[in-house]
Amino acid sequence: MELTALKNAMGPERVICDPSMLERYAADISFVNRVRPVSLVAPKTAAEVQSLLKFANETKTPLVPVSSGAPHFRGDTVPGVGGALVVDLSGMKQIMMVDRERRVAMCEPGVTFAELIPAVKKAGLRLNMPLLPRQTKSVIGSILEREPLVMPKYQWDISDPLACTEIHFGNGEVFRTGQAAGPGTIAQQRAIGGVQKAPYGPGTASWHRLIQGAQGTMGIVTWMSMRCEILPSLEEPFFVGSSRLDELLELTHWLVRMGLVNECFILNRTNLAAIFDDDANSRSLRDTLPQWALFYTVAGYEYFPEERVSSHLVSVTEISQRLGLEAARTAGRISAREMLKTVQEPSADPYWKLRPKGACQDVFFLTLQEKISGQIAAMTELAEARGYAATDLGVYIQPIVQGTSLHCEFSLFYDAANKGERERIRDMTGAATREMMARGGFFSRPYGEEARAILNRDAGTVAVLNAFRKIFDPNNLMNPGKVCF
Amino acid sequence: MALSKEVYQAFEDVVGPEFICDDPAIMPSYHKTEFAAVILPENTAQVQSIIRLCNRFKLEFRPVCTGWTGTFKPGVLYIDLRRMNKIIEINEKNMYAVVEPYVITAQLQAELMKRGFHLNVKGAGVNCSAMLRGHGHLDQSTSGDDRNHLAIEWVTPAGELVHSGSLGSAGEWFCGDGPGPSLRSILTSAVPPGVTPGVFTKAALKIYHWPGPTKFPVIGTSPNYELSEIPPNFMARYFSFPSVEQAWAAENKIGEAELAMELMGFNVAMVAANISTSNEEEEATFKRLSKEVLGPGFFVIIAGNSAADFAYKKRALFHIVEAAGGQSLKSLENPRTEGILLCQCIRVSASIRETFRPGGMFKSIPVMGQRDLTIKWAIGAGKAKSPLIEAGHIVDDGGASFGWGVEQGHVGKTEIFCKFDPMNPVAKEAVQKWYDEQSARAYKENYFALLMPGHPEDIGKSLSNYHVWWNAIQKELDPNRVSPEAGALV
Repeated sequence: MELTALKNAMGPERVICDPSMLERYAADISFVNRVRPVSLVAPKTAAEVQSLLKFANETKTPLVPVSSGAPHFRGDTVPGVGGALVVDLSGMKQIMMVDRERRVAMCEPGVTFAELIPAVKKAGLRLNMPLLPRQTKSVIGSILEREPLVMPKYQWDISDPLACTEIHFGNGEVFRTGQAAGPGTIAQQRAIGGVQKAPYGPGTASWHRLIQGAQGTMGIVTWMSMRCEILPSLEEPFFVGSSRLDELLELTHWLVRMGLVNECFILNRTNLAAIFDDDANSRSLRDTLPQWALFYTVAGYEYFPEERVSSHLVSVTEISQRLGLEAARTAGRISAREMLKTVQEPSADPYWKLRPKGACQDVFFLTLQEKISGQIAAMTELAEARGYAATDLGVYIQPIVQGTSLHCEFSLFYDAANKGERERIRDMTGAATREMMARGGFFSRPYGEEARAILNRDAGTVAVLNAFRKIFDPNNLMNPGKVCF
Repeated sequence: MALSKEVYQAFEDVVGPEFICDDPAIMPSYHKTEFAAVILPENTAQVQSIIRLCNRFKLEFRPVCTGWTGTFKPGVLYIDLRRMNKIIEINEKNMYAVVEPYVITAQLQAELMKRGFHLNVKGAGVNCSAMLRGHGHLDQSTSGDDRNHLAIEWVTPAGELVHSGSLGSAGEWFCGDGPGPSLRSILTSAVPPGVTPGVFTKAALKIYHWPGPTKFPVIGTSPNYELSEIPPNFMARYFSFPSVEQAWAAENKIGEAELAMELMGFNVAMVAANISTSNEEEEATFKRLSKEVLGPGFFVIIAGNSAADFAYKKRALFHIVEAAGGQSLKSLENPRTEGILLCQCIRVSASIRETFRPGGMFKSIPVMGQRDLTIKWAIGAGKAKSPLIEAGHIVDDGGASFGWGVEQGHVGKTEIFCKFDPMNPVAKEAVQKWYDEQSARAYKENYFALLMPGHPEDIGKSLSNYHVWWNAIQKELDPNRVSPEAGALV
């Protein structure tokens, strides 16, 4: 590959070709093929991103955009083809705006949850977050991946909290979505009080939806604005432990349906223990925990917070009693208050999914209330049939989009150094994906080795997506080999 | 414009002779355009066959649901979807409903209320198709625009059948996005000036918890509908404020506190329209209410999940209003009037009496987006109506705009219109001039750009060249260009 032009444009020291550095991007914890990129560039500005795209189009060099820091888990940041250049955006760290009154923030792709949370908190705001992202996880990366959010009440649409974004399409054209599109530059919009909040348009299309879920195959995002929520002035967290998942799901349905709770999700005891694992003591902790734990928070805001919380608790108690369930302030040795504090921050290091055994492979999909119990039973059976102890299987159930579906995530914790175990997990991942699809699971975010099998089930969508992608990235340069491209 | 015998026969073979017509005596009953024919498919397979024939014969088509409005080129095939009127599924556990295009909101709402749910009601009214994109009075708690759609069954302009999201992969309706990038990027339904090319044949919609009665207690006969009682834990009030800024401050706080089922920035002219049954009564009511209000204001409905929740919401609501210097409009606190407004705003969509009745026609500038910003623009647009009111060209509404919060005030809708007599050419010209000038000002001052059919180059260029991308997408989807853009299909 001819890198001279790129070195001339960016400065020779900015184009990294050191094999030891490139090796870090050649693989991740997933099972995708190892492919080492030929170089690495870390742009600092949108103009530099433009230069990279120009170079890529002139030389037909594939680009792999990466926003979050290591460790990576899903194979989407590992080049799908040889000769690729990694565009590491983790150095683009600017938080450009936090606006309390309009409940919105804007930042660059390198900004992590650990960095954005305190900035918005200072303004009296909070983010609707995924469950315990790792310290290095990019906020924009998470939103682009449509990761499930722990407060389903505030997820009106699956694209939330995305407000507006700037993307440099594969062909080098710059595009701003939603209110940010114009008229006027961002500075001109700000001058009259515009804050790039509304996601609609421009025109008939909802362009941001085409960028989300694309795994960097449409272009490179250089900033995003996102809706934020008001920081509660009072929060009362609770656990409901049970061995009866169906009853917990029923309770969850009513809590979300009636808008009574903020954080709301279910974990099995393996996951809950992994989150609070202290000094590899998780097994003894796990033994104290209920088989399933529903966690939820009731919150009050600026006006009469105690009254709001107590009025909500009247309804919560009534529903719980109807189902024969009882809320508690603890689950085993874990207090609900501690849980609340934990889930409002990124995971402490080491990342909670790496604590039990050093590596983890997730199988996740969207599903329906009436199907999930059968899917979990099938997964348990499948794991045991392959010699994987069902008690080691982590399960996370997250109601999403105000209760219209459930995100179900199986975490297969394993020892990556054990080659046999790694192969077993690899086999289980494929088998589990196929089994869950057969049982009605919808893999809306297809990653890694299973992506092709997932996408093959929907030829109609794939045909339309391929037609669109040709428009935005005619040279097939943006992360080729991912999704269906 | 008539189809050749051979072409007509081909379409007739799909639907049968009873469901296609090119009789020149019938065509004008649809719209004033000369259509090639009107065809009424019964199901998705027939829609697909019709569109494939359109491609074969290079015949443009326009699908229509409930047909509230629309613009049509002469010579197009009018696909009337009225036979596709079934509620396919109401999934209570996962909070969605699946409908065909001719299921109207009133029909679905009645079924949902029986099960403790309701849905977003578009401003065009409950008599319009439930599945379409739009905004309405309940946006504060039931979202709006394209954000209530889940999976969609879509016949592309080329006649391909595409199932978005979970429907394509898993045969279920709960998600419209993925695998990978979302087709909802373009499956945004019908909103002027652009529409998704092709035909939506079924769509899943989000539904919302309804804390009210299983049957809305409407009594009376048209136009005198009212409620037999105010449902328990429901309250409707109109609050006015000394200034726009104070009204906005209260609106924003009510959104943050998540208090309102509906927050509608009515002006009193619109309140008057909704509680009166004739133009004369409306005018008198408007004059009376204008003397009672402090200034601009909004209408709020609160609905409690329990008596405790209702008491909290009521207390917080009055506290916010008082802190912002507002007060309740006493004459609307009468339970009968309160009931009429609850009925109009929940069961009907209050827009109906506000729009056509006073003048016969209205011309509107609607804007979705950042509410405080669009309010700022609308103040100027309202002032610009004054000369038209003084000259008697438009109905006197005090020059006010209206609007509401969406998703507990995260975003919002602002709209301003002139009501006028369409048979009066001077009035028509004056309103058009007002419209052009205020749209131009919004664009020039960077508030927003109204998107007109055809995507004028200068506006497209200033909006990330979106028109270029959209045209490229349309070309990919519709190689024979049989699915022309323009026209709303509500």
